[in-house]
Amino acid sequence: MNPPTAETASNLITLLASFMLVLQLLMAVQSMLVSNIRLFALQSLLLAGIAAVVGYAYSACHVYLVALLTFVGKVVFLPWLLERLVRQLKIEQEIRPFVNVPGSMLLCGALTVLAYVVAHPVTSLERLGSNTLAVALALLLTGFFLMINRRKAITQVLALLTMENGVMLAAIALTSYGMPLVVEIGIFFDLVTAVMVLGILVYRIRESFDSMDTSKLNQLKG
Amino acid sequence: MPLLALLILVPAAAGLACLLVRSRRLLPALGVLAFSATLGLGIALVRQVLARGVVTEWNGFLFADALSAWMVLVISAVSLASSIYAVGYFRRDLADGTVTERRFREFYVLTPLFGASMFLVVLANNLGVIWFAVEATALSSVLLVALYNRRTSLEAAWKYIILGSLGLALALMGTVFVYAAACKNNTQSLTSFNWTYLMGVAGQLDPRLLKLAFVFALIGYGTKAGLAPMHTWLPDAHSEAPAPTSATLSGVSLKIALYALLRFSILTTACLGTPYSQHLLLGFGLLSMCVATPFILVQTNMKRLFAYHSLEHIGIICVGLGLSVPLALFGAVLHIGYHALVKSTIFFAAGNIHQRCHTLQLPKLAGLLKTMPASSILLALAVIGIAGLPPFGIFLTEFGIVAGGMGAGRVLVSVLFIAALVTVFSGLLSHVAHLLLGAPTQEALGPRTPLSCVAAMALLIALLAVLSLWLPAPLLELLRRAAALIGGSP
Repeated sequence: MNPPTAETASNLITLLASFMLVLQLLMAVQSMLVSNIRLFALQSLLLAGIAAVVGYAYSACHVYLVALLTFVGKVVFLPWLLERLVRQLKIEQEIRPFVNVPGSMLLCGALTVLAYVVAHPVTSLERLGSNTLAVALALLLTGFFLMINRRKAITQVLALLTMENGVMLAAIALTSYGMPLVVEIGIFFDLVTAVMVLGILVYRIRESFDSMDTSKLNQLKG
Repeated sequence: MPLLALLILVPAAAGLACLLVRSRRLLPALGVLAFSATLGLGIALVRQVLARGVVTEWNGFLFADALSAWMVLVISAVSLASSIYAVGYFRRDLADGTVTERRFREFYVLTPLFGASMFLVVLANNLGVIWFAVEATALSSVLLVALYNRRTSLEAAWKYIILGSLGLALALMGTVFVYAAACKNNTQSLTSFNWTYLMGVAGQLDPRLLKLAFVFALIGYGTKAGLAPMHTWLPDAHSEAPAPTSATLSGVSLKIALYALLRFSILTTACLGTPYSQHLLLGFGLLSMCVATPFILVQTNMKRLFAYHSLEHIGIICVGLGLSVPLALFGAVLHIGYHALVKSTIFFAAGNIHQRCHTLQLPKLAGLLKTMPASSILLALAVIGIAGLPPFGIFLTEFGIVAGGMGAGRVLVSVLFIAALVTVFSGLLSHVAHLLLGAPTQEALGPRTPLSCVAAMALLIALLAVLSLWLPAPLLELLRRAAALIGGSP
């Protein structure tokens, strides 16, 4: 591997990672369900792109495979599955979050700053890009916020998936090769199964509650 | 014979076979058969571990030491009992239409898969594989929690899967940090993620990363283990699941997550050389005990009562592990086994009561000793056991933890521990005395309790009684080694 390639790759990764964060913030303010799913697909596409760049720069075959898995799973299959669920259940399109749009934006900004502060002492450990670890932590934290802020079951699933994206980004940033293939494949299948199981539950919740508002799930207390 | 691989493959194959089998009678038989086989394999594994120290298979992909072997025994014993119990339990549920045929089949497909993923957690060598196996236990059990398809069970299942997955996302972050620390001074490969490799180079790992990793793992796996304050899903999921599943969830699945956390703790201690992780475990353990206590005192639903009680006992085990003195460690490891046996028995009893009286509300139930004597006597024995009265072993393990704490000069911890235990003891006995004694206030609505439902309880109580009075020498040696492993000796 020659140094210029490594540097270009590193810059490219930083760029892609920052776009992932931008998409996350867009998701926080976007109020249509389907657009949210597509934003997630786009974010995953960037993640797949990062994996592909790593694979190219270090000529590591198995990272290409990871990129392919991410593409097939998170860019094509899961968004398709979720959109189908939305259509089948005729879910109302508008997401009504607990915190309004400007408030969400401000909170997400604050969380991003927090992520940078937390990641600052360990940035020297990053192998790739600059501040990718901070971006990964920011994705994790804003994912948390998205999950708390939304009522609909399906939007909580989406928030979970974006957190997962953050963790995978951290894995790439910290280790430069991503995790061993066996583990990556395991995580991938877990994720797909998780979304399918969640889909089944969403379906059943919709059937017996006539709604997907998780704030109605409040009978069990104490 | 590839013991470790068989332990995972046998239940997995049984689960897949249940997908194909048409006959409704064959399903329960397959379940019982699979878990009898794993119990046998588990005993064989204990022998090998005692003879060889560490058993590895598949090029080091699977691995078992004393701690894993002990967990295998616990999983097998409880799963076997609950598969025996399920025979009679679901026959009645099917008869009165509480579950549909489809859900019944779902139970028999998912339960062995749940078992297989638990075996994979304790037998995997690779921390990443441990992570996805823990996630698989959550995914295979969530539809079991939702089996009855009531509104409340759907709510419980939703909370369980969302909080579980959230926690596991954090645990994955922790796993990534360990991996980052490991491949820093190693060319990347699968082996640098292996437990056996990590322990070998523990001293050279980056302490900052490992500290960060442990905190993420604590919150992540701690959520799945039901540690307070991440426990809010626990009473819901454990009370809404069908009785055989509640038993497995409360009896073993919590400890499986704790096992994963424990691996992180051992590694962190080996790396830092300071009791950083132990202090955190101790703190969260005490907090769990204190949080559970008031809920136990005021609880009105029997299953929720004992779900909170599991929270208390996870706290007890964590305190024992956190004290990190030999006596307390031994107590905590042994407690894992005793608690699994007793808690399953109690959930079986709750299942029997629910099917017979159609309610679990404690104020509505009384005098069960007259209406359902066999289950009541076994329940009474189990409660005596779990409240920590001699001659049952939990007295011994709790005493060991307190004595260890006092011996280590942790007086405040020990006093808090005893205070929580005493409060729970009185609360539990008053609830159960009201439940069993006095004049029956309700008529029995359901049919008599079938034999298999009582037999499973009797089996566990008998096992508990025997193991309380007499621990066979090989088992004792296994426990000693497991405790030493946690204590830091290789």
